[in-house]
Amino acid sequence: MNRRDALQRVAVLMGGAISIPTLIATMEGCKSKTAAESGFVLSKDYQSLIAEIAEVIIPKTDTPGAKEAGVGPFIETMLRDCYSEIQQNHFLKGLETVEEESKKLGSGFVALKPEQKIEVIKTMQTKSNDEAAKNEEKAKQVDAETGIVKESAKKKEEAEVPVPFFKLAKELTLFGYFTSEPGATKALDFIPIPGRYEGCIKLEPGQKAYAL
Amino acid sequence: MNIQGKGKEQMTYDAIVVGSGISGGWSAKELAEKGLKVLMLDRGRDIEHVSGYITAMKEPWEFTHRGRVDNQTKIDYWAGVRTGYTANEEHRHHFEKDIDHPYDETRRFDWIRGYHTGGRSLMWGRQSYRWNERDFTANAEDGHGVDWPIRYKDLAPWYDYVEKFAGISGSRDGLDVLPDGIFQPAMEMNCVEKEVKKAVESKFKGRNITIGRVAHLTAPTPEQAELGRANCQFRNRCMRGCPYGAYFSTQAATLPAAKKTNNFTLINDKIVYQVIFDDEKKKAVGVKAIDQNTKEEVEYFAKIIFLNASAINSAWIMMQSKSKTHPNGLGNASDQLGRNIMDHHLAAGAGGKYEGFEDMYYYGRRPNGIYIPRFANWGSDKRDFVRGFGYQGGASRGRGNNDGFGADLKNANTQVGPWGFNIGGFGETLPDEKNRFTLTDKKDKWGLPIINFDAAWGPNEYKMREAMVNEAANMLEAAGLKDVTIYNDAEKSPGIGIHEMGTARMGKDPKTSVLNAHNQVWGAENVFVTDGAAMVSSSCVNPSLTYMALSARAAAYAVDELKRMNL
Repeated sequence: MNRRDALQRVAVLMGGAISIPTLIATMEGCKSKTAAESGFVLSKDYQSLIAEIAEVIIPKTDTPGAKEAGVGPFIETMLRDCYSEIQQNHFLKGLETVEEESKKLGSGFVALKPEQKIEVIKTMQTKSNDEAAKNEEKAKQVDAETGIVKESAKKKEEAEVPVPFFKLAKELTLFGYFTSEPGATKALDFIPIPGRYEGCIKLEPGQKAYAL
Repeated sequence: MNIQGKGKEQMTYDAIVVGSGISGGWSAKELAEKGLKVLMLDRGRDIEHVSGYITAMKEPWEFTHRGRVDNQTKIDYWAGVRTGYTANEEHRHHFEKDIDHPYDETRRFDWIRGYHTGGRSLMWGRQSYRWNERDFTANAEDGHGVDWPIRYKDLAPWYDYVEKFAGISGSRDGLDVLPDGIFQPAMEMNCVEKEVKKAVESKFKGRNITIGRVAHLTAPTPEQAELGRANCQFRNRCMRGCPYGAYFSTQAATLPAAKKTNNFTLINDKIVYQVIFDDEKKKAVGVKAIDQNTKEEVEYFAKIIFLNASAINSAWIMMQSKSKTHPNGLGNASDQLGRNIMDHHLAAGAGGKYEGFEDMYYYGRRPNGIYIPRFANWGSDKRDFVRGFGYQGGASRGRGNNDGFGADLKNANTQVGPWGFNIGGFGETLPDEKNRFTLTDKKDKWGLPIINFDAAWGPNEYKMREAMVNEAANMLEAAGLKDVTIYNDAEKSPGIGIHEMGTARMGKDPKTSVLNAHNQVWGAENVFVTDGAAMVSSSCVNPSLTYMALSARAAAYAVDELKRMNL
């Protein structure tokens, strides 16, 4: 059993919505050596694009969507402050791909019709899945050589494999949305001061999951 | 010497307590309540109870990174990030920036520090267990380390005493391996925990599952209420500091009690680095400190000195306290000072999904889990390693999820997800004199020596970890958990449990130990060390309750000895 497997299992236990690099980022911080001088800035167009993509992932329904929850600016902040240059660049490439795929349908992503936006994001999801499968294959090869945790962790550090674009966009959207005020208080059951603990209560119809 | 322009008299107290964490708070409270004029020195800033807990009432969206670690933090808290939680945004300010307090590692050591009023009592895990009888005889039984100079019966009344004041919630289970104490009402288990408990206890003879025993008030006593402490509110935001004073910390409990005596003074920002030993009087007369901000040197004087600076830092002070009588460091004729570093090894266990109870949920964020007491090498259970381990863990429900995006994904994520159950082991580590720290020639920004660690888990711990993983999986599978997966993170190094101990061990003989049976330094009997440094073995249960009991016991003894004019 190696570290990656261990984290994979933790990820499974946590519901599978979190990729391993994000877990590593959560648990250990990101691997960038140039934290203070990170020059990661998004153009206005890209800011709108991220906000729009997030809204497709978590749309407004009877509760607020990602845009209202400020997920776009949140993703930018997280990319700038918490991720490596390799990951930042990989994400930017993903945004470029979104625009390329959108133009095949007639315009930039932001100006597309709702169903066209969904089509583009589906394409991005497929690309992400393919990329993830390839990464998994590579990781397996590394693991077979060594088998022990330290070695595989060392190799992982030597060549950081960035999380595919859609995967990271989705997890940051979910994380940003459900920890935002509108997301936590309107889409989840938010109880700032429970005051007591009851171990076994009936799950009533309409009971939402608790916010953290 | 008269550095501060104040007369020596003004700098003189009956007792000096160095450090304000769990053990220092207890030492100060006990000494002050017995009528001594007590000076408590802390190397860090003051954090006021309630008003000083700057993030206590913040909601997730009020944190820029919603709690996560950013790249700069990774650099600043290079040791802290190894834990996976101490450097998180909501309580990071309660931990030290490792770049400001550097240390060296021949072998990796995860040293997690909190320099401020209250020390790590503000951020501790609050799990509070008595040691059992065999924990005190283990070294003598299997020959590792030296024998404890005390037994369970010596500490039992002091466990009673500190539990009553601190407030420990838990259930009385009547187990030899996990002695019962004086408890406030236990927190409840959830449905799945109750079910797993039933299954494990019926299928594995000699194994038990109980609710974690924690230093949280569930029914405050009048004494606790008078100190301003209230019931746990089940927010589970403890490490930010509790505005209700519901868990035991220096700020919530021992500090207000000490202040009530009017015998107590706290001075912050003073890094004590040396005990002043008078070779003629053959006793310690005071301490030397440096102000962390002004770098001004200052001396304080007292009849007795309690070192409660944490296992590593108390020994660090003693190493710098050289005199004609103690040329090798205070009480260090044995050369055991700084050796035998122990901790608990963890990050080995298993988890799985529970099918059933889909219609059941819970209310509140319980700051506690379940506990599985040691069963390995207990009773008829025999292993290919010595000592044992316990598990902490529990069941909870996350949110639903799906692979897609859009309204379906959003909806799934607002729903209550499946039950998961996870347990992780806490293993005893053996005292080994090769596991040690030393002073280097390098200096920190105050000109004080930087520490080098050279410690690691040994073969016994590695063997035990295999059992920790396998037995976790066995129990979960037997209890009907599905998709059981195991983990064993070997990267985590000593220090990771934040239970470092053993660096100035108690003993029966000054040739092999640093402290005697009353936590007095051999050859400097008016100096007491009652933090983790004093520990002779590590047990597998969390140590803080034992530090409390040792501190209260030693303080009572110190005052008696003072009265008898023996100090």
